[in-house]
Amino acid sequence: MAEILASLTISWLDPRLLLLTGAGTLAGIYVGAIPGLSVTMAVSILISFTFKWPVNDALALIAGIFMGGVYGGSRTAILLNIPGAPSAIATALEGYPMAKRGEAGEAIGLTTVMSVFGGFVGILALALFAPALSDFAIKFQSRDYFLLGVIGILLVGTLSGESFAKGVFAGALGVLIGMVGLDPMTAEGRFTFGSITLMGGIPYVAAMIGFFGVAEALVQLHSLDVKAIRQKVERIVPRWADVKRYLGLALRASGIGTLIGALPGTGGDIAALLAYDHARQSTKNPEVPFGEGCKEGLVAPEAANNAAVGGAFIPMLTLGIPGDAVTAVIIGALFIHGLKPGPLLLVETPHLFWFTVGNLVLANIFLLIFGLTGIRIFTKIVECPKAILIPLIVVLSAVGTYAIQNNPVHIYWMLGFGVVGYFMKTYGFQVGPVILGVILGPMMDANYRRAMIGAQGDIGLFLWEFVANPISLVLSLFLVFMLLSQTPLRAWLVARLRG
Amino acid sequence: MSVRRPRRAGELIFALALLTFSLAAFWQAYGISGFSGLSTAGVFPMLASGAMVLSALCILWHTLAAPRARAEAGQTPRPEVLRFFAEVLPWRHVLTVALILTYLLAIPWLGFLVGSGLFLFVAFAYLWRPGGKRGLLVSLLLSAFCLGAIYLVFRIVFQVVLPQGSLWRDTLFRGFL
Repeated sequence: MAEILASLTISWLDPRLLLLTGAGTLAGIYVGAIPGLSVTMAVSILISFTFKWPVNDALALIAGIFMGGVYGGSRTAILLNIPGAPSAIATALEGYPMAKRGEAGEAIGLTTVMSVFGGFVGILALALFAPALSDFAIKFQSRDYFLLGVIGILLVGTLSGESFAKGVFAGALGVLIGMVGLDPMTAEGRFTFGSITLMGGIPYVAAMIGFFGVAEALVQLHSLDVKAIRQKVERIVPRWADVKRYLGLALRASGIGTLIGALPGTGGDIAALLAYDHARQSTKNPEVPFGEGCKEGLVAPEAANNAAVGGAFIPMLTLGIPGDAVTAVIIGALFIHGLKPGPLLLVETPHLFWFTVGNLVLANIFLLIFGLTGIRIFTKIVECPKAILIPLIVVLSAVGTYAIQNNPVHIYWMLGFGVVGYFMKTYGFQVGPVILGVILGPMMDANYRRAMIGAQGDIGLFLWEFVANPISLVLSLFLVFMLLSQTPLRAWLVARLRG
Repeated sequence: MSVRRPRRAGELIFALALLTFSLAAFWQAYGISGFSGLSTAGVFPMLASGAMVLSALCILWHTLAAPRARAEAGQTPRPEVLRFFAEVLPWRHVLTVALILTYLLAIPWLGFLVGSGLFLFVAFAYLWRPGGKRGLLVSLLLSAFCLGAIYLVFRIVFQVVLPQGSLWRDTLFRGFL
């Protein structure tokens, strides 16, 4: 116990580690908030400086960036309607309407407190339930991951403004974009048209920045002459009554976030969407309708995506499987530092596990401090005229896209996606499902094919396994329920039953 | 559930374009491995493009069923092409996209710093339009300030390798740019 406590508090007592965790959190918040800069990219770039550092220093900085970056995405989602990361897509749906009403300060304050709350729940789960949850996650089969992907995309589809068909189209388009390139299993070209450039695939960062950054800039051109709303930032610290009121929802959302974060391959993005959907289903009489600045819709995804950080560390540290893209980068760094993430990590180097837990706690405390203090400066951005902001978004988007692989072709992709995204937005499509499709498409493809190979190509056996396994059955039933509730099939079935 | 709002200018053409693209994507997906197996490389692209075709058909159906936009009282309805360029793609959008395209094409040639500096200056001057000769100076100073901040954050702090530009490859500016 004393050893655990000593490992847990190393970074709290060492000024150098304290400074690194604080700097990492602050950098993470601003990097996550800058349109076009993802937390994955920040971790990838910053981690390269830490390879020669002592492992504790590197882990301290990484924990700060990860925790801050996941939260930072919500700021631009609220202030500019550009999610800094896919995990902030749901936040934009409610946060931006609040900012338009002049309640940006309140939205960011509530987001910060709930993110910190969610973060603590995730860390607590990491500390208490890591072995049990990882045991559960390891039971997931390929078909379950395939089902999770389909559910994730359809969930975003249900959030699509005008119709379910538009949501499905956008999600399927994203999957198609994710398919471009050489097939990882057979090296067959898919939609490459013989082009070497296309064989490498379309980078999802270019699609994400194009659909969110450039498309939004083009949409904003319509309201160039409209003066930006002066943000009310007098009240940053949320009312205690508000915090108390949403604590139950935040706790449930944090539970969802931790569980989803702990599943390999699924991270804060799916967690946030599932939590948002839970908030919509469980809130019977919201003060403000969902989609128009409902606080429940803001609290749930933010608590969930930060809870997913703690969750994502569970399979990473106990199984050696990345929970999401950022933990995949971190696993690479741990190997370079001579560590072996996996079941033996907890046996051979338990101090490292507890050091990480303590570090995440510290990063979460820094998140609360920086989150509630830097808003006034940050909200000045939206008071800047759009005619200045739009060219800056374009330049930042170009740098963000170029920086991933230093390839100029990617910035042309970005513009192309930006123009397509502009027309999609104009005609009532949401672009969130496209990005989720791009990210989840390859994972779904690989898992579908593994499941089909496992069933020896027999369609009957393949389908039978969806109902024969308890986990698959629950997921399948959830998928069927979603399809029924979102399409005219439900009304038709109800009419038939009544008739 | 679908919302019965009036059809926007160009929406029908867009719905048809989506269907055409989806059918072409399905055809291409079929070309990968056809129906030769259930775990081949082409199955999932076919599933995705198939979902696109079906949803595009639904979208087209809804678009056709949506009522046409009515002209305001006392005004004659404008042709859809004019409405499209007034409501969906005004000149400001066309020129801005052209400016962004020129900027992106110029980056490999001019480099990030010079290209972005010129883009920011022209974009500020065109979109912001601060008045008179002083306005141009303000645009110039603002673009220089923004460029300096971006350079500091990305090049110095994050060490992002920015395109240097083939034009300056053999000049003294190379190391700086």
